[in-house]
Amino acid sequence: MNPLESLRISWRSIRGHKLRSTLTTLGVIIGIAAVITFVTLGTGLQDEIVGDISPDDQQNVYVWAAPPEDSGQGPLAGAQPVFTQRDASEVANLSGVDDAYVYTRIPGQSVTYAGDTVPRDGGFVGTGPGYFDAEDFAEGERFERGEAQAVINPAMAGLFDGNVSVGDTLTLGIYQGVQIDVTVTGILEDSESMSAFEGFAPSPRLYVPADLTENADTRTELNLSEEELSELLGDREISNQSNLSGELGGLLGQSTPGESSRHIALVVEAPSKSDADIERVKTETEAYLDSAESDASDRSEGLAFQLKTSAELISQLEDVLDLLQDFIVGIAGISLLVGSIGIANIMLVSVTERTREIGIMKAVGAQRRDILELFIVEAVILGVLGAILGTALGLLAGYVVAGYIGIPWVFPVGWTALAIVVGIAVGVLAGLYPAWNASRTDPIDALRYE
Amino acid sequence: MATERGSAAVSLSGVRKTYQLGEPVHALDGVSLEIPTGSYTAVMGPSGSGKSTLMNLVGCLDTPTAGTITIDDQDVTAVSDRERTRIRGEDIGFVFQTFNLMPRLTARENVALPMVFRGVGRSERQQRAAAVLDSVGLGDRLDHRPNELSGGQRQRVAIARALVNDPALLLADEPTGNLDTETGEQIMGLFEDLYEQGNTILMVTHERPIAEHAERIVHLLDGEIERVEELSEVGR
Repeated sequence: MNPLESLRISWRSIRGHKLRSTLTTLGVIIGIAAVITFVTLGTGLQDEIVGDISPDDQQNVYVWAAPPEDSGQGPLAGAQPVFTQRDASEVANLSGVDDAYVYTRIPGQSVTYAGDTVPRDGGFVGTGPGYFDAEDFAEGERFERGEAQAVINPAMAGLFDGNVSVGDTLTLGIYQGVQIDVTVTGILEDSESMSAFEGFAPSPRLYVPADLTENADTRTELNLSEEELSELLGDREISNQSNLSGELGGLLGQSTPGESSRHIALVVEAPSKSDADIERVKTETEAYLDSAESDASDRSEGLAFQLKTSAELISQLEDVLDLLQDFIVGIAGISLLVGSIGIANIMLVSVTERTREIGIMKAVGAQRRDILELFIVEAVILGVLGAILGTALGLLAGYVVAGYIGIPWVFPVGWTALAIVVGIAVGVLAGLYPAWNASRTDPIDALRYE
Repeated sequence: MATERGSAAVSLSGVRKTYQLGEPVHALDGVSLEIPTGSYTAVMGPSGSGKSTLMNLVGCLDTPTAGTITIDDQDVTAVSDRERTRIRGEDIGFVFQTFNLMPRLTARENVALPMVFRGVGRSERQQRAAAVLDSVGLGDRLDHRPNELSGGQRQRVAIARALVNDPALLLADEPTGNLDTETGEQIMGLFEDLYEQGNTILMVTHERPIAEHAERIVHLLDGEIERVEELSEVGR
């Protein structure tokens, strides 16, 4: 029989049972859509991450200290506040190191500009001036260490009604009611993350010197009642204003009073992105951190120093993403399996229902292989239909979600092709047994079948 | 229509069909019969006489336990299932009591169906199906589905389908069994026309008035031919 003809006849019987056919393909649709959606998102996410390694970033080594069991879990996993500003300076002075600065997360609640307050649950990035390059800025320049200054990105600037520009003052609401006024020294070119430490999606970010809260002396305004203040400070003695600020800075900067703040990470810059230079930076930095000379070594007992380049961090993340993707593809695979069982089931029902039709076709000259072909084609149509609809749905969902979370949308050509192949395979596999059953039907019995 | 009258369209020689139902049951027990080309034969007999078995064997739906059957000079007993299916499609036209039309196909598509399995092109099928439907008086019902047709019309579609491949033998199994008397008479009239046009017809029935439309009646009893009754032109 002409294959086109079997396609026509099979298509007709599928159309004859619209609801049933739709429900049957649903399993395949969901399975394929799930795979395509997550693959699209996964690929988009990876592109986003990989696309973020600027040439400048390639020569950075990211350093943090974490329990050994947390190694390989991604940037800052299990990171403990162990590094001091002095550590950063010492590392910067090591031979083969271009620059080094601390990186910390400053908890924050709000930012106020010209009376317009926006909540910031995510806090602020505390780091050194070296975190930025001159070409990162659309306007202005980097902040100075120890100054009450801030760098913001366009997304952050966009949160306010007014037009924030360089030289304006922002009031940062740190927790427990502490407020710090900072002067904007620069606005970045774009809202991408500046390093692997920040996460990957573009989002509103505000960068301040890591020692902002440490040196928050006269700039600190306390909006606390006497009770709140004494509760916050406990029985610590407060002799003067500067001491008070030191105490507060200590609390806020995750360090114990009387000592300088500890930060959760260091960023160390190598002079170039060559493996030799990077390796040298790693060796030198690790040697320094392990030595008794470093402040970090006091606190690093039971912790292992993690020294990673962006590329390494990304590949770690990609491993995690791949694992997640494999997991989801696995679940989708189960959905596909269930979907194909659904098709097989409905085909078996269909064969029984159409026993008489099979008998008629055989009586008028249909060969066994014609019947086999008809039913397999029908199952394949269901499978391919499911695959096509699933792919379309998956692409759409991927597109919508990618747009929503702000990652690039990538058209997964290979996966789309694979989805169609899977649809055909599901159809053939699911249709094989029912079709074989149908082809073996005895026409005499079939014609008598009611 | 097809071949000249006189030679045997179908010939059975010593045909036996035995079913093993605990003990062997002979549904047909040594039947020999010649059905000349262009003849009109009715097979009569009570239930269990072997009518259906004879139909199935002649229709190439089944194979005999012993004996040979030739259709259009081809021995159909010693061939593969595949070959028998081909002969069934090309040389036999079935008309059933229950019409057996494909419910989702239109009249034209039902009639065209046997040509689909022979690999005839679409436009040729369409034309031929329309022509045959027209010849059975359904030229204005081409695109109706079976459920939009009356019983008599359905049987006409079935007859058109049986004729479409220009078969050596038209095999009718109680073709009026599901029709009222008047419609049944019309269908018998159609068969008569087909006979006049030179078609070979073998019809199974248990109704004497229906059987009397044929040239001769083969009476079956207990799997054997009891007698062959030649009918005069007057009887019909």
